[in-house]
Amino acid sequence: MNHAAPMSEPPHEPVDDIRQGAAAAALEASSNVPFWRKTLPNVHIGLAIVGPFILFALFLLLVGANPLEIYITMIRSSFGDSYGFGEVVVKTTPILLTALATALPARAGLVNVGGEGQLAIGALTTTFAALYAVSGWPAYAGLPMLAIAGAAGGALWAGVAAGLRHYGRMNETITTLLLNYIAFYTVGYFVHGILKDPASFNWPFSPQIDDSLRLPVVTGTRIHLGVVIALALAVFIWWLLTRTRFGYRLKTVGGNSVAARLAGIPAERMQVLVLLAAGALAGLAGMIEITGIEGRLRPSTGVNYGYLGFLAAWMAWNQPLWIIGTALIIGATSVAGNALEMTSGLPSSAMHIFMAIILISILAFGRGRAK
Amino acid sequence: MIADILTGALRSGTSVLYASMGELISERAGVINLGTEGAMVAGALGGFAVTVWTGNPWIGALGGGICGGLISLMHAFLVISRNANQLASGLTLMFLGLGLTAFFGRSFVSASIVGFNTVEIPLLSDIPWIGPILFKHDPLTYVSYLLVPGVWLLLHRTRIGVILRAVGERDEVVYAYGISPVLIRYLAVISGGFLAGVGGTQLSVAFTHSWVEGMTSGRGIVAAALVIFASWRPFRAMLGAYLFGGAQALQLVLQSRGVDVSPFLLFMLPYVLTLAALFLVERRQRGRMPEGLSKVFTGATG
Repeated sequence: MNHAAPMSEPPHEPVDDIRQGAAAAALEASSNVPFWRKTLPNVHIGLAIVGPFILFALFLLLVGANPLEIYITMIRSSFGDSYGFGEVVVKTTPILLTALATALPARAGLVNVGGEGQLAIGALTTTFAALYAVSGWPAYAGLPMLAIAGAAGGALWAGVAAGLRHYGRMNETITTLLLNYIAFYTVGYFVHGILKDPASFNWPFSPQIDDSLRLPVVTGTRIHLGVVIALALAVFIWWLLTRTRFGYRLKTVGGNSVAARLAGIPAERMQVLVLLAAGALAGLAGMIEITGIEGRLRPSTGVNYGYLGFLAAWMAWNQPLWIIGTALIIGATSVAGNALEMTSGLPSSAMHIFMAIILISILAFGRGRAK
Repeated sequence: MIADILTGALRSGTSVLYASMGELISERAGVINLGTEGAMVAGALGGFAVTVWTGNPWIGALGGGICGGLISLMHAFLVISRNANQLASGLTLMFLGLGLTAFFGRSFVSASIVGFNTVEIPLLSDIPWIGPILFKHDPLTYVSYLLVPGVWLLLHRTRIGVILRAVGERDEVVYAYGISPVLIRYLAVISGGFLAGVGGTQLSVAFTHSWVEGMTSGRGIVAAALVIFASWRPFRAMLGAYLFGGAQALQLVLQSRGVDVSPFLLFMLPYVLTLAALFLVERRQRGRMPEGLSKVFTGATG
């Protein structure tokens, strides 16, 4: 796995570059700089890349596992054959979308940690629509309707946070986090209640949705059309943020909201808008999980994808194209985690530790840290 | 029934109370710590494990506090020394805490402990109605009765409290005064994590007497939210913690009486109530936020 991508500087931040250059010069000049920083200015980037692997290897040694064996299993299970790689792609898709749901509002200075809940509600509305509204429809009409239903569900959930921010001046970090728990129990309420499959022998899941409403898959794998949609959206959001007036204005809002207001940019309205759009992205991830993978709603549908997406976005400094890479790394890591559980008996939670270690070293050693 | 709910509010609100006191101290010094969730869950497992090993819940609480303190030490290092984004760092440590405890907690899932039992305070617990609500609890709950005024006294009536609050408001002043804001921030964040860890221990060793993966289920996040609700004041944070606990107790009381409400609606009630409480107070308290919360001063350029 290659961690070079998330560590690189975002390519188009001239102002920050100058500021960082000046800061680096000032650091160089002052005397209480750690020696390694003075002598080898780029050592910290190396540390951020290699450090997590060494730390995690130490951790594995500590718990009595063979790190080399584990790393080989990880790489083999995720990139070793076409099935494994297909699984990685399938895992990466929702993470990519929830990561974009973090990156887009981040550009406007908002912290959306609600991908988890927005995905869950998107999956819920998709299931409702698939079972009650468009049941029996052909794919070409039904799937777009489900995409709208999922995106609307996610946007609705993000809209709660946006509303609380707009009318109650409540910080969206806290509200989106709390809303995740509420969303989780909302899904639980429906799959244990009116959405429960009568034929499920009391297991909490919804009935299967129609086969015509499933996303087309590549034969022999589980790779589905959602992958293409997610990639296209990543490129679209990159274009939107870096190549359009809208993106420029959004960046102004995120950088200096006072300046933005003085320049006549409707900062508040743009923030609400991107939060809703972010919710729609995460909700679409829920729709893709239901129609592409699961075929029915379970309490566990999409659990953790929101948080993993948040990590992917952070590792990529919220740059949409970098996010494709970081989401892939995180997707591969989770597939590897599942494989480890089967082959080495190492619980999949080990992978959460691994991911946390990666993020900690980026936070500790990464340059271009966000304010 | 009201007495049941109030008793339950104290019982299940105490863990949140500890965590919110920790978060309050940390935020008063200018550091938001969403890693409180991670510190809490680490404390829940750490406290439980130490109690299993030693058989002494007090040593367990100490161990839980230390686990929470260690998680928060990492937050302090990343945010204060490495100037990392506080929210990203906090969330990362939340994942780390959940991952580590899921990993190491497997062997403790079926373990049984004696833990803290209910201690009735003589005389006081005989007071009609109030007695059973307030004075039939586990010892950590009694400690929390003293903790809240203690934190208030510390912050508002001691020199160290003045310095701590000054660090959160105008760290340049403290720096100029010859005290390192970095040191004070480290101490505040670590002791905040310690309290969160003790709160986690209360959950596993005193309240449920068991360890379950992810058992804090967002209580650390709720604690962080309650500190805002409380305008960074200890007694109001206590009120908020008991409000959250009350919503949880309501769920248990209704369930035990066989009231036909979906448990899932009751599960989400505490979180909805926290959001509603935040919404109601948020508009009236602009400007009370410690100014340092939006930036972290490292002392190098003061």
